[in-house]
Amino acid sequence: MIADPIRFLLDFTALFAVYLMLSVSLNLEYGYTGLPNFGKVLFFAGGAFVAGSVTARLVAPWAGINLAEINYSIENVKVAIAVSKYFAQNPGVAIGVFVFIILLSIVVGALLGYVASYPAIRLREDYLGITLLAAGELLRIIARNYEPLICGTLGVTIPNPFAWMGIRAQELAQIALMLSAAILVWVFVEKLARSPFGRMIRAVRDSEIAAAAMGKDVVKARMTSLVIGSAIAGLAGALYAFYTGAVHADDYVPIRTFLVWVMVIVGGAGNNAGAALGALAYVTMDRLIAQYKHYLAVPFDVNYLSYVFLGILLILILMYRPEGILPEKPSRTIDFEKVVKRIEGVKEEGMLSKLLKKFRRS
Amino acid sequence: MIRIDILLDAVVFSNLLVLMSIGLTLTYMTLKIPNFAHGDFVTFGIYTTYTMYRLMSISPYMTLPAAFLASGSLALALYLTVFRPLSKRGTSIVGLMIASIAIEIMLRSCMHIYADVMTRATPPNVFFRGFIIRETFWISLANVKLSGLLIASTALVIGLVLTLHLLLTRTKFGVAMRAAIENPGLASTLGINVGLVYAVSWFLAGGLAGIAGAILPIKLPCDPETGWAFLLRVFAATILGGFSSIYGAVLGGYIVGFAEVVGIYLLSLPPINLSTAYKPAISFTIIVVTLLIAPRGLTAVNWRAVAAKLHLVKGGVSK
Repeated sequence: MIADPIRFLLDFTALFAVYLMLSVSLNLEYGYTGLPNFGKVLFFAGGAFVAGSVTARLVAPWAGINLAEINYSIENVKVAIAVSKYFAQNPGVAIGVFVFIILLSIVVGALLGYVASYPAIRLREDYLGITLLAAGELLRIIARNYEPLICGTLGVTIPNPFAWMGIRAQELAQIALMLSAAILVWVFVEKLARSPFGRMIRAVRDSEIAAAAMGKDVVKARMTSLVIGSAIAGLAGALYAFYTGAVHADDYVPIRTFLVWVMVIVGGAGNNAGAALGALAYVTMDRLIAQYKHYLAVPFDVNYLSYVFLGILLILILMYRPEGILPEKPSRTIDFEKVVKRIEGVKEEGMLSKLLKKFRRS
Repeated sequence: MIRIDILLDAVVFSNLLVLMSIGLTLTYMTLKIPNFAHGDFVTFGIYTTYTMYRLMSISPYMTLPAAFLASGSLALALYLTVFRPLSKRGTSIVGLMIASIAIEIMLRSCMHIYADVMTRATPPNVFFRGFIIRETFWISLANVKLSGLLIASTALVIGLVLTLHLLLTRTKFGVAMRAAIENPGLASTLGINVGLVYAVSWFLAGGLAGIAGAILPIKLPCDPETGWAFLLRVFAATILGGFSSIYGAVLGGYIVGFAEVVGIYLLSLPPINLSTAYKPAISFTIIVVTLLIAPRGLTAVNWRAVAAKLHLVKGGVSK
């Protein structure tokens, strides 16, 4: 029995879209490039904080609010409501601002990826892991205490850029948008993994020295992978922030990073279908717990139990099926017959077709 | 002028950090991975002590052996059931790191569950979150009042570092331990039981973290997140120390401890007025600066070469 099936489905889809983007981006970084990004939440938070800190402030003057006159940290809810009302009357501005914020969050995510990786990307993976994890915690601590960013411990409310639609329509539109963004990201990373760049990052992952010997710039390859992954995480963060309508620093804890890791490792690192499966499985579990936790009579929060379960699951997978449920497949090559046909199609008697005839005879 | 109580506070804080950093370094030396669950060994020590203190009214200083054994056994059990099997199966460094993060989150969640259950099971005036333990003794020296924690933690650090030093240099087992850590392949050919040596390292690492945890509630309010919150500083201390020597960990612990306590005190004074909540930023800065300038830590720096470069020593380096 599910209390409100439509609500359940909407939340499920939205969360799945967010986690799909995160797991696919981690798959790009860890699955294909071998980077231990233990700071996924840093880039996710980066995107969310952009949406939280910029949206309302940007539009407030047009909505007739003088930010200098009020204490924004305390009155941010009022500002958000006023801006939402303004959005309801000016759909064009709302769409423009929304697109601008999304683009900005992608840029900020990418920039954070570049900056955070700088001190450690040349070093061993353990240092990179520690630095990224620590940077994520630091951003949360700063956001909690530095009020001008996202209003400190109070958190910030985000105006609704879909306010000009009907109540159900705006939610549907938003979730459709999130899901299509997630699918686009998935297709993008899948294409990227099959491109020459994808083969190069896998070469870097499998043998740094061999890749360097073949003339590949290892540091640049890792950095590019991290920057792309972080840009995706920034996008996911902004979409998540718009969906929940508020940003609180303490929502962006390292456990989120861990969850994404569980998705990628259990689903299958180096396989985007695996990352999607992992995200689907986790979000299903999470939503079912949210539905049923009130029926369970235990003297503690069930979520803690779910973390214990996920930890055990992760370790068991690492022990008995380290390649994950859907293992990485060898990179797809062009069908041999297709190559032959292509060459045969060439009319003039070039070197290639002569060679092919020789090959056929032998 | 920095107040004397700030300096004494820095000594206590550093002592705690040193106890944690030595342990982290010990486990790092065995499997070459930073153990993200190290902070939770501290939390386990905190709860062992606090439970005994609350339910049996035992002074925290008396519970030190129990906390040592409890956290040490926990670390040993995790090494035997998780890290050793994974390492034998050839799991990559990243795989081992994510396993340690999984253990971190599991232990922290278990501690949360324990805190929830105990808070409900005990009378309403007994808390299992945000608790402190009252200091039991003070000593007055000249005009300065020295807390029991200051004396106990300093004595513990001196005693334990000395014991470790003697163990590693003067006993057969200690020499075998160093050999096994330096070159496990060669050591096992020479008949050293590398598995046993690693197991002892993990037990000692957990035990030292447990000792730090046992006295931690005297200094600050503790909850299931306390050990995790300390982890960043412990990493800063061990990275600064070079991750490969327990003396480096001691040095790193004192530098990070003093930098945090004295540094945040100076930064919170009038011209800057920084909130003390930014304290962890100091550790983070230390990590980043160390990685940029001396990625292998202070103990790996060739100081004579540095001095020659800065023209501090005439004639340059002889080598």
